[in-house]
Amino acid sequence: GRRRRMKRTAPRSTLRKIIKQHKPALRLAANADLLYESFLIFYFFPLLKVHLNFLLFLHRLAEEARTSAFENKSKIIKPEHTIAAAKVIKHFKY
Amino acid sequence: TQLLRAKPVPKRLGAPRRKKSEPHIASGLIKMIFSHYARMPVTRDTFKIVEKCSQRYFKQLSDDLEAYSSHARRKTVEMADLELLMRRQGLVTDKMPLHVLIERYLPLEYRKLLIPVAMSGNKVFPCE
Repeated sequence: GRRRRMKRTAPRSTLRKIIKQHKPALRLAANADLLYESFLIFYFFPLLKVHLNFLLFLHRLAEEARTSAFENKSKIIKPEHTIAAAKVIKHFKY
Repeated sequence: TQLLRAKPVPKRLGAPRRKKSEPHIASGLIKMIFSHYARMPVTRDTFKIVEKCSQRYFKQLSDDLEAYSSHARRKTVEMADLELLMRRQGLVTDKMPLHVLIERYLPLEYRKLLIPVAMSGNKVFPCE
């Protein structure tokens, strides 16, 4: 409907910086000498998949928070529902 | 002269320099994505929790990616590491292949990039 469409560009440099902050030695496939196609595969694509994973994480968190809100007969998602959701999904821990 | 005096001082000069903070996903983006998936109203305080969860998620993600690539004796994260990760997270299964997730979640321009090239990539890089 009238709802604004979700902006869907991946914040690639931010994603890279975040991972760098946690793991300075870890590189996300970067080798500028490669041919364009290989360059894309190694340099660009892993970050897109990180972005995909992040979207999936937020989707799961939102779904669980929604479930928690329904269980508590709330029509609005509150912080406690999200905290409960985070405990359920354990940040994708296994 | 009144016009001259009324001229506003350029803001940037007076504004204090932004502190270099830890990198994080823009809160507006998190808010937009979360409320898109929530499909119901979300209180303002909730987004703070979501941001905190996101930070923890990235910490966990970095740990996992490091573990996966170092297990393969690499210092570089490759596509395959992320696929393996998503399999371990239970997101990619035999019934839910990665390309379906890509089609569902990523915009067309990224889909176009990831799907056809990833397939030809298999030939170029047998290590995958």
